[in-house]
Amino acid sequence: MKTLRGIGVSPGYAVGKAIVIKEIERDLNSAEYTSAEEEKRKFQDAVSVYTKNTRELIVELTKTAGKKNAEILEGHLVMLSDPFMLSQINDSITSGNTAVKATDSVCNGFYDMFSAVDDEMMKQRASDILDIKNSIIGILCGDNGVAIEDVPKGSILIAKDFTPSMTSRINRENVYAVIAEVGSVTSHSAILARAIDIPAVLSVKDASVLIKDGDTLAIDGSKGKILFEPDRETVAEYEKMRESYFEEKKSLTEYFSKPTVTKSGIKKCVYGNIGKPEDAENVLHNGGEGIGLFRTEFLFMDRPSLPSEEEQFEAYSTVAKTMGEKEVIIRTLDIGGDKAVPYLQIPKEDNPFLGYRAIRYCLDNPDIFKVQLRALLRAAYFGNIKIMLPLITDTAEVEKAKQLILECETELENEGALFKKNVPLGVMIETPAAVLIADELAQIADFFSIGTNDLTGYVMAVDRGNGKVTQLYDVQKPAVLKAIEMTIKCAKNAGIPVGMCGEAAADGALIPKLIEWGLDEFSVTPNSILKTRKEICEFN
Amino acid sequence: MVSKETVVIDKMGLHMRPANNFISAMTKYKSDITIDFNGNKINGKSIMNIMAACIKYGSHITIICEGEDEQQMLDEAVKLIESGLE
Repeated sequence: MKTLRGIGVSPGYAVGKAIVIKEIERDLNSAEYTSAEEEKRKFQDAVSVYTKNTRELIVELTKTAGKKNAEILEGHLVMLSDPFMLSQINDSITSGNTAVKATDSVCNGFYDMFSAVDDEMMKQRASDILDIKNSIIGILCGDNGVAIEDVPKGSILIAKDFTPSMTSRINRENVYAVIAEVGSVTSHSAILARAIDIPAVLSVKDASVLIKDGDTLAIDGSKGKILFEPDRETVAEYEKMRESYFEEKKSLTEYFSKPTVTKSGIKKCVYGNIGKPEDAENVLHNGGEGIGLFRTEFLFMDRPSLPSEEEQFEAYSTVAKTMGEKEVIIRTLDIGGDKAVPYLQIPKEDNPFLGYRAIRYCLDNPDIFKVQLRALLRAAYFGNIKIMLPLITDTAEVEKAKQLILECETELENEGALFKKNVPLGVMIETPAAVLIADELAQIADFFSIGTNDLTGYVMAVDRGNGKVTQLYDVQKPAVLKAIEMTIKCAKNAGIPVGMCGEAAADGALIPKLIEWGLDEFSVTPNSILKTRKEICEFN
Repeated sequence: MVSKETVVIDKMGLHMRPANNFISAMTKYKSDITIDFNGNKINGKSIMNIMAACIKYGSHITIICEGEDEQQMLDEAVKLIESGLE
């Protein structure tokens, strides 16, 4: 079976028939120039029609996707009423261009200006401009653009790009999935697809050429997978997954706005784990109450040199702003011999998991570590950030990190920079050593987070990649459970909050025990947030 | 002509929503408003111009107003920027 891959930005499954949406080719030179007054009037009329249409779409979209998503289209109206842009269009008409040509060239100018800026938000503004331009020209030329409303039930739409106005015209009853050649998790089209809950795969190279009208496709919207002409078994499999996805979704949506409280009234929190700033949206979309683990490795990997303080600040503050008042726990660099970061020149080790890594490397290289700490303290000003140290085995490591944070605070103060003081500092409990001294660590840490993935490996002395012993890698082993229980108890005795950010936090078989022991916060992959909340709410 | 230097404290910088709040307040005035940002002259009544300038949080800008109600306009502009535009 031929397969195409892209970025899965809206989960769900679908099997359907492809409809490739072709951009209407227009000859922009075909319109005849009447007079400046006449062309200006034509343009004004087109703006009025556009405004009326868009207002209708906003009303519709507010119903289907919520007010916040409808604001994307409100933004288009604001942009189109810009006096600077309007005067440029009028000038262009005065100098002899038709309304169509003037709209085209002025919008293209803004498009180039916006897309030249290396900033995700500006790139989206660029696609907004394109959307506005196409709509206005469509009205001027007397066509209504691409027919999206009238596709038959079971359609999968393929386009170069889905502009906000295209996405908002999608009939969710008939359209089973969308595929586009451009876009990312944070594109308007992705946000809207998630809001109206249809699977979407973006950034599929040459999709509108490779896929032909009428092709049967099977789509996995979370993995970003597209199968061509699936056989009967695959079709049956995908249809079953689609059905159970909807069923589960239905049973979980009621938990979106429900508080995470057990039947006996104990309040818990369900957070999300993320690896990239843009994943924060996904946590909110899945009803997460915060971020329990933001891995910072992505900033350091797949590049030739260290990220600057500014670059790190951008990433951390973006997440802090997205989450608003909600907690964001950011883990400092957790890197070592097993993760290739050539420019750090960490020598190859026989035993990377027991070697020069994570907090050990960072404390040994304060010049590198302090750049990250400074970026974190500055970003903390913009939201509710907490800092978490990985691979702690000794109280001295926490004390040393605290010392470095104090140094950063003094530096930032002297520079007059905006930052937050006394940012909560927590310890990730993932080594047997940390468990054994958890009582002491709890005296100097502001919170704990149990990292069950590594803790299980270290406690059981097992390499989970080794097939011969992998059956020992099991969070349910008595030794691992005891380690978790001890850690929670020490946190409770010291009165500090304790969370869990490993896969075990979403493990239905373990959740009752974790609640009994007193775990406060469960941090899981965004897709498991609602399910975890459901498990907690059903606990007696 | 009157002018004043100020610092953008809006946490998102002058993006869509804050920029829109700013220009809707400024269009009430008859005077012209220019924002000088690193030597770039930006039309303070144009959301497209302001957004394209990508004025981020912490940026130093100079606001220049010129016209019959320039002083009131400058006062409100500075007040808006310094209050964070939220």
